[in-house]
Amino acid sequence: MPVYTSEALILRTYKLGEADRIVVFLTRDRGKKRGVAKGARRARSKFIGALEPMTCGGVAYYEREQRDLVRINYIEPSRSPLSAIGGSADLLGHVGYFAELIDEWAQEAHADERLYRLGSSMTDAIAQGAPVERLARYFEYWILRLQGVYPAIAGCPGCGEVFEHGAVMPPRDDVFLCRTCAPPAGGSALGSEALQFLKSCGAIAPDRLGSLPLGTRAAREIETVHRRLLNLHLDKELRSTRVLREMRK
Amino acid sequence: MSRPDPLTRLIEQLQRLPGIGAKGAQRLAFHVLKTPREDVERLVDALREVKDRVTYCSTCSNITETDPCFYCTDDSRDHRMICVVEEPENVTAVEKTRDFKGLYHVLMGALSPLHGVGPDDLKIKGLLERVGKGGVEEVILATNPNVEGEATAIYLAKLLKPLGVRVTRIAMGVPVGSDLEYADEVTMHKAMEGRREV
Ligand SMILES: [Zn+2]
Ligand SMILES: [Zn+2]
Repeated sequence: MPVYTSEALILRTYKLGEADRIVVFLTRDRGKKRGVAKGARRARSKFIGALEPMTCGGVAYYEREQRDLVRINYIEPSRSPLSAIGGSADLLGHVGYFAELIDEWAQEAHADERLYRLGSSMTDAIAQGAPVERLARYFEYWILRLQGVYPAIAGCPGCGEVFEHGAVMPPRDDVFLCRTCAPPAGGSALGSEALQFLKSCGAIAPDRLGSLPLGTRAAREIETVHRRLLNLHLDKELRSTRVLREMRK
Repeated sequence: MSRPDPLTRLIEQLQRLPGIGAKGAQRLAFHVLKTPREDVERLVDALREVKDRVTYCSTCSNITETDPCFYCTDDSRDHRMICVVEEPENVTAVEKTRDFKGLYHVLMGALSPLHGVGPDDLKIKGLLERVGKGGVEEVILATNPNVEGEATAIYLAKLLKPLGVRVTRIAMGVPVGSDLEYADEVTMHKAMEGRREV
């Protein structure tokens, strides 16, 4: 039974039997795995503090023949969202949101190092108490882009014009058009501030989001188009999205 | 040979229990088949009795045989303090410390975006009503010391403070990331004693 060690990102856990947990984690080099952490729920378990969603660290596990579940030997957390304890409920709530989105897109047995790196950079940003709204929009931009489904934001595919005064995502479509090419009614608009923010997202690391301005209105515009893109490509609404919405009420 | 229907039904039902998979359910079902009739009847009685006689307190949501529960109706307890916990098992953990003489409020979980548990799925409205009625001076937030428990505590503190009540959070003497269900007496005692205003 070969033992693998890898950097990994914990995505979620489920209770298993009396005292164990099933752990879903994204390895840097071998895709998403599901494994058993024996005794993880006991008071003095070696896994305590290591299984929060979005924990980054070294994981050792071995695969068993003809079993879907790997067996986890240890997890050595290097960075953890537990450092954000004391932050806002919204920030802590987003830990689950980030984890759910990565879990939705990560594939088993298919390494995706860029997705792993995006996830681990989120953990750093959370631990540093990054502005949560900007961080969430940044994360959505990147996860959609890594999946190759982010529409072009440089210019209008209809007429080739560079977006100067904002763009519109028409209803039932997933591209950005200029206001001339977009149908006269409906759709989700992005103002120039929102577009500027998205362009900057493509060029900076998440720990620098604090210096990137984003007003409430522009943030709402981006959230709306991202929600539409995510629902379209995942073909459903995420559970965490509903919970975060309820928490904000 | 095909499997008799009643056995299939039993396996199906057992498999719906938490922590029981297909193999476990099959093992339990065959165990029941081998067990003497009286033993099986005792199990059936116990199951039925739990559903008939044990319920949730309409005030604090703790498990109880009488509604309101033993804690909520005990005049010797300090009705000015409410300790908020995630699960009924956590009440037992706090009781073991023998320091706390106030009342409880069981949320029936914690806010969990990942598992789709939001504020409306928890017993939060009842807590706000209890505090809103007046007479409560301190609410101790004893949710688990992990990301979900902490998010729940901060969320509750924001709703409770405008009601003019002192809101405290248990100390993190409990290992961060752990589950209070498994905390020992000493740890739990330290956590309660070291609680801080939030
Ligand atoms: Zn155009
Ligand atoms: Zn009660």
